[in-house]
Amino acid sequence: MRIDTKGRFSFPGGTHPPEKKDLTREMEIQRGPAVTEVAVMLCQHIGAVCQPLVRKSEAVQAGQKIGDCDAFVSAPVHSPITGKVIEVALRSHAVLGRSLAIVVEAFPYSPTKWPSFKLKDDFDENNYSAGKICEAVRQAGIVGMGGAGFPTRVKIEPNPRLPKEILIINGCECEPYITCDYRIMLEWTDKIIAGIRLARRASGCSRVFIAIEDNKPEAIEVMNAALKTCADGEDIKVVPVRTKYPQGGERQLIKAILKKDVPTGGIPPMIGVVVLNVATVAAITEAVISDLPLAHRVVTVTGEAIARPGNYHVPIGMSVEDLIEFCGGVAKKSAKVIMGGPMMGIAVADLKTPITKTTNAITVLTKEQIGRAKFARRQTPCIRCGRCLGVCPENLNPTKIAHAVKNNLLDVAESYYISACMECGCCSYVCPANIELTGYIKTGKIFLARQKKKIPV
Amino acid sequence: MLKDIRVSCSPHISERLSTCSVMIDVIIGLVPAMAAAGYYFHIRALVLIATCVIFSVATEWLCNAIRKKPNSLDDFSAVVTGIILALSLPPNLPVWAAVIGSVFSVAIGKMVFGGLGANIFNPAMVGRTFLTASFGVLMTSWTVPATVDAGMPKIAPENVVNARTQATPLAWSKRAIKSELGAKEYNEEHFKATFTGEVGGCLGETSVIALLIGGLYLLIRRTINFHIPLAVLLSAFVFAAVFYLVDSSAYVQPFFHLSSGALLLCAFFIATDPVTAPLTRRGMWIFGVGTGTLTMLIRIVGEYPEGVMFAVLLMNAVTPLIDRFCKRIPRGGKPSTK
Ligand code: SF4
Ligand code: SF4
Repeated sequence: MRIDTKGRFSFPGGTHPPEKKDLTREMEIQRGPAVTEVAVMLCQHIGAVCQPLVRKSEAVQAGQKIGDCDAFVSAPVHSPITGKVIEVALRSHAVLGRSLAIVVEAFPYSPTKWPSFKLKDDFDENNYSAGKICEAVRQAGIVGMGGAGFPTRVKIEPNPRLPKEILIINGCECEPYITCDYRIMLEWTDKIIAGIRLARRASGCSRVFIAIEDNKPEAIEVMNAALKTCADGEDIKVVPVRTKYPQGGERQLIKAILKKDVPTGGIPPMIGVVVLNVATVAAITEAVISDLPLAHRVVTVTGEAIARPGNYHVPIGMSVEDLIEFCGGVAKKSAKVIMGGPMMGIAVADLKTPITKTTNAITVLTKEQIGRAKFARRQTPCIRCGRCLGVCPENLNPTKIAHAVKNNLLDVAESYYISACMECGCCSYVCPANIELTGYIKTGKIFLARQKKKIPV
Repeated sequence: MLKDIRVSCSPHISERLSTCSVMIDVIIGLVPAMAAAGYYFHIRALVLIATCVIFSVATEWLCNAIRKKPNSLDDFSAVVTGIILALSLPPNLPVWAAVIGSVFSVAIGKMVFGGLGANIFNPAMVGRTFLTASFGVLMTSWTVPATVDAGMPKIAPENVVNARTQATPLAWSKRAIKSELGAKEYNEEHFKATFTGEVGGCLGETSVIALLIGGLYLLIRRTINFHIPLAVLLSAFVFAAVFYLVDSSAYVQPFFHLSSGALLLCAFFIATDPVTAPLTRRGMWIFGVGTGTLTMLIRIVGEYPEGVMFAVLLMNAVTPLIDRFCKRIPRGGKPSTK
């Protein structure tokens, strides 16, 4: 039987940026470079910042926990390499600015080891208790690897007040250029399925959906084929969803598949749903079965300016510069180095910025790629065309919010529900007047947070 | 290797759209109407369009120069204003009046508010209102299209007396309402004439086909949403239909109202001016229905034969209010904690 890979599910709003996935979609996941130094950020997730567990000059083993925190919403960090801590110092963080990192230098005589993992044939998730799975996930420091970095343990642990019923595995990868999740789905299929079963057991969900955008028919087929061969494959369903940005947003995905709205300012568990990224699920398998911590991840290095784009399995903490160097450096004149994809990623100024658990891609764009609008065209006043309203997946009024922020009217911005914005960037993307709507909204949110906390500017 | 990299907030790419391309799309959409005007009114049409465009652009340039603001001509919005103004002028208007109209449109209708995006009223309609108020006679004398020969259907009896000037179909329907003529005299042939454009009227409003082609182009290109045109036409149709059903001897049939006068031009090109229309979908419906109803109210009940201009300006005035009432609620409902 041919599998129907056409995505019928979608959400209102959204837009269609050029996909550009062809640069790397055929590139198998390869090992990244051997690194001599990594900087492991102490805060790679949402929640409390870790405290360093090691001191300067201490020797650490690959996989050793080097930072942790007692708070519930937090995740420990691990060293990907064996070596010596040379300092605990400030490093550039893509989101947080300068923040603390543990810098580890590899011993010259110990070659970089890659975690090896093979799923045994007799795997049965019922051999692991829910508590054990949660603890393993916590110890491995697993966080949502799709972007936000919410500690996974908090997500999957059963909570009597918010019982979970539905588990959605997010394999949409709606951001242009990025293909790491796609490759993981093709190459680590068994790991993902094992991880799904573990996560299901831990969270107590009864139904599982794997959402994949219909521009990845191969992944949909591979997943379906793999599910056929396993015993309880019928309970897990692959759902092709329409290719549209931001289909991979939690709230959009839930809307598309379940036709339910997550309350504004709320989280999916409030309506009994857990959403996990495919890379996260694969990491759960490694953590539970072989106690492997989350110290490596797959990163797509892509963009027109990169000489050899590809998908690489790299140690978390290596610098962007090293990785770009490994990929042959930049071929053309580059204009922007982005951690993440072009829609939501963050342009970095410091190429020494380390890769974190949530870095799914390094995109290096040339001037032509951005230039089209951002360099060449003049910004005009808002012509009130309403395009930004049409694409906003959260049904907001971006132009009103942005202009309120611009004029420093934060209360007006709040009255237009600035806090409901998910910062997807659709509004800036379509605006013919070339206004950085998302930028203004982000700024407004920061101002509001400062105002509330009474932090002096 | 990596020098001169830029940092800015996401998104780092954007759609191939600009204010300028949106305006150029509108201009392309207006080409059929301009062509029809040129075909029916020959050189008069071209002279008027050229005058209005040139003086609109020049006024914008001058205003920017006076205000020491950067030049904003590259967004082409002044050209659009000029064309729309020209298309809503009667063909035998003296050139000097068109000059006054365009200068007034851009200077008072747009630039005093702060330029593109800040104006409350549709600039072209502001200019036209000024002309109507100042030179009423000039603005209401119409010539027969140059292509109409003596054998063509006569829209109004005046034709017999004076072959040069002719009442528009709307003026004629007004007289029907006042029982000077029977509405029944209006027949198929007249209807066909309004369709191709062989009737008296403003430059751009005579040919239904040309306007429909242009409007369709804008809809397909998604330069305009279908909400406003549909709301305008539907509400005008319903309004006219009610009157027609009540008394078909005094009121002409609803299709006549749709196909004559500036209603189509308004539905596709004037009411859809994004700057002066509401932002939200719901607001657009309200705006469209308001424009359509007011137009018909003026046409049927009011003193003027044509009501588009006033209807649009009135609805422009309440647009901020509409926007305030049609606030969008976030997808997940209002946040519970304030
Ligand atoms: S897309 Fe840009 S020009 Fe259009 S309404 Fe929004 S902010 Fe204004
Ligand atoms: S307002 Fe926020 S949620 Fe809406 S399109 Fe813009 S960035 Fe996305």
